[in-house]
Amino acid sequence: MAVDKDVLEMLRTETDYTGLGLDWLTPGTDWGVKSEPGRKGLTLDEINKSTYGEVPDYSSNFTARPRGAAMRPEAPRLGIRLQNKSEVWASTIAMLYEEAQARQWSSARDIPWGELTQLPDDLELAMCQLCTFLTQVEFIAGDLPGRFVKEISADHMEAGLFIATQIMDEARHEDVFRKRALANGGGLLQAGPGAVGLLQVTDYTEMTTLLHLVAEGFVQSLFRMGELIANNDAEKKIFRLAAQDESRHVALGDTHMKYLIETQPERKEEIHHYLDRQEGLLGTTQAGLTAGGQSAESLAILLGGGKDKIDAGYQKLLAVRKRQINEYMHRLEVIGLGDRRERMNPDMKQFLDPVRN
Amino acid sequence: MTTQHDAAEGDLAPEAAAPHDLSATTAPERPKPDFPWMRVPTQRGMKPAIGPQGLRLEDVDIDTYGDVPDRWPYRNDTPRGAFPSGSVGLAASYSIFDKVEVWSDNVRALYEDAIRDRWSSATDVPWDTLQPYPEHIERAICQICTEMSEQAYVTVQIFSSWLEKISYGFHEVKNFLATQIFDNARHVEAFRKRALANGGGLGIESPGIFHRGPAASMKFTELVIITNLIRAPFSLVVLETLKRIATSDAERVLYSNVVRDLQRHIDYGIGHLQFVISREPAMVEQIHAWLSRGEFLLVADQRRDQPLNEALILLLGKDSESGRAALEELRRTWVAYYLNRLADARLYDRLTKLTPELARFVPEGVEMPNTVSMRPPVADPVFA
Repeated sequence: MAVDKDVLEMLRTETDYTGLGLDWLTPGTDWGVKSEPGRKGLTLDEINKSTYGEVPDYSSNFTARPRGAAMRPEAPRLGIRLQNKSEVWASTIAMLYEEAQARQWSSARDIPWGELTQLPDDLELAMCQLCTFLTQVEFIAGDLPGRFVKEISADHMEAGLFIATQIMDEARHEDVFRKRALANGGGLLQAGPGAVGLLQVTDYTEMTTLLHLVAEGFVQSLFRMGELIANNDAEKKIFRLAAQDESRHVALGDTHMKYLIETQPERKEEIHHYLDRQEGLLGTTQAGLTAGGQSAESLAILLGGGKDKIDAGYQKLLAVRKRQINEYMHRLEVIGLGDRRERMNPDMKQFLDPVRN
Repeated sequence: MTTQHDAAEGDLAPEAAAPHDLSATTAPERPKPDFPWMRVPTQRGMKPAIGPQGLRLEDVDIDTYGDVPDRWPYRNDTPRGAFPSGSVGLAASYSIFDKVEVWSDNVRALYEDAIRDRWSSATDVPWDTLQPYPEHIERAICQICTEMSEQAYVTVQIFSSWLEKISYGFHEVKNFLATQIFDNARHVEAFRKRALANGGGLGIESPGIFHRGPAASMKFTELVIITNLIRAPFSLVVLETLKRIATSDAERVLYSNVVRDLQRHIDYGIGHLQFVISREPAMVEQIHAWLSRGEFLLVADQRRDQPLNEALILLLGKDSESGRAALEELRRTWVAYYLNRLADARLYDRLTKLTPELARFVPEGVEMPNTVSMRPPVADPVFA
C-alpha cells in the first residue's frame, strides 16, 4: 500500500506542490508498519515485521540497500561477498545486539578504581603481566571480525551490527586492562607472542570458529573465575564486566555455528579442520593463556597468592584449564560437534571429564 | 628392564641405545622460576589521579605510556609501553605505522566522551510519544530515515575494515574508531526503528554514488575527510533542521542523540586534519583533492536523489516554493558549517576551491582571510 491515491493526486496537481515528481511516495515497499516498545524497549525483534523481518537465505543485495527498502537498479555495488545467510547468521543475533547496547559500561566510571589497594610487588607485577597479555590480544578480537563486515549484505545487517558491538567491547577491554596495569604503580610488562596468528583467517566461519568458539570461550572461562584472580573489588568488577561481554561473543559464536551446521552440515569436517589447527596452537603457545609462558606464570602467582606459593597456584591453574576445556567441550556438544571429544588434541583431551550418562 | 649390548654385533647407533634403567628414580628438578618478566625495564610507579569523570585515558596515558611516537616500530600487537618480546613472531596485517596518518590530539577525550554519552535506541528514545502524521509526511520522514540508516551501515562496514590496518601504537585511535563504528551501528537501527515504528515503512535506497567515497578511499585520511568532514556535517545539519519541525519527543531525542554522536565524529575529523596540516603542510593540496572528490560525490548523489530532496521539500515548506527555499537554506547552512569546520582544522582556503554546486551557497561578498589567524567570514550556523 502507498500514499492514498487522492492525496497523491492532490499533491501532484495542486499549485502548492507543482514541479515535484513524488514518484518515491509509491515505492512499492510495505506500508503501515507500526511497532510498539516491548518489555525491553523498541528492540530489533519488535520491528522485524512484515517484509522487513524476512531475512533472505540468499541475498542478491550488493548495494547498501536496507532490507525491505526499494531498490535502484543503477546503484553501484559495494563488494558484498557473504550472500548466504548461513555464513553469518545466528538465531540470537538481534537479541545479542540489543543486549550489547543495553549493557555497555565505562572503564572510566564503572570500575571502583579507588578500591585498588597497594599490593605486594609480586602480586602487583603478576596482575600487570596478565593485563599486559590481555591488553595485547583484545584488539585482535575486534580487528579480525571487523575485516568481514564490509562483505556482509545489508539484508543480514544484524550480523554486521553485532560485530560493531564486539569491536566496541574489545576496545573497552584493551582499555580497561591497560588502565589496570597503569593505575596502581605497576605498569605494562613483557609483551608476548600475542594473537597475531588469528589474523591469518580468510573465511568468516573460520574466524568464528577460532575466535568465538575457542579463543573467547577460553578467555570467558577465565574471566568468570576472576574472583580467584582478583585482589580487590576493582579487579573483581573488571573481570565480571568483561566476562559479561565475552559471554555475548561466545553466545554469538555458538549460535552461529549451530545454525551453520544445521543448514550446511557438509561444512562440519571443515570446522574440525580449523579446530585441529587451533587446538594444536593452544597447546603450545601463549595463546593458551593458561598453558604456559609468562601469562601462565602470572596467573599461577595470582591464584596461589604470591610467588612463593606458585606451586599451589599451578594446581589451581590446572583446575582453571580443566574448566576451560570442559566448557569448550560443552559448547561443541551444543552446536552439534560432540564427536570432537574423540578428536581433541591430546594436550587438551587429558583434561576432559568423562562423559555423563 | 636392561638392554643388552653386544659390541661385537656392531651397534650402528650406540649413543641412541636405551638407558640401562628406565624406572623412575627422582623427579626431574624443575628449574626454579626466575620471572624475568618482572624485571623488564618499563616505567613503574605511576599513580594516576581519578578525576571527576573517573579514570580516563588522558589520566593513565602519561609519561612513557602517553608518548606516541611519530613512527611505530613494531609489526605485531605489542602494546605501547610494554617491553617487546625478544623473539620475532608473525607480523600482523598493519600497514599504518605513521602517526600523521591517523592521529588527532583530541582522540583520547573523544573516546571517553563517546562512552560517557552512550545511549540505546531501544530504551532511551520515548517511542510512545510518536504522533501520527499525514501519510505523505510520514513517508517523507521514512525516506530520510531509510537513507540515514543506509549511510550509517556503510560507515560501519568501511571503518570496521580499516581497524586491522592501524598498528597498536595508536591504540587511542583504534579505541575512538570503535566508538564511531558502534555509534553508526546504533544509527543504522535507530533510523530503521523510526521508519517502522509509526505506521510507515522504508523508502527507496539512495543513489549510492556517495558510498563510493568511503568505500574506495585509498588512504585513511581520505576516508576521514569524506566521512567525518563532508558527510557527517551534512547529516548533522539535516537532523538539526528536522529537530525544529519534529512533533514528538521521540524524534527530538533521536535527532539530538545522533547529532551529539556526529559532533564527536566531526571533532575527530577536525583534529586529524589539523594534525596532518601541522605536521605535513605540503599535504594541503592533497587534502584539497580529497575534499574535491568527496564534494563531487555528495553533490552527484544529491543531484540524483529526488526522493531525499522532495522529502525535505515536503517537510520543510508548506508548498513547493517555500519547501525549495528551505532546502536551499539547509544547503547554505551546511556549506557554512562545513567551511567553518575546515577552518577549525586550519584549512582556510577551501572557499576558493569549492565544487561549483557548493560555491553558489556561499554568501556573496565573502572574502578569503588574509592571515591564518582569521576564520572565513561565514556566519557559523547556530543550532537551537
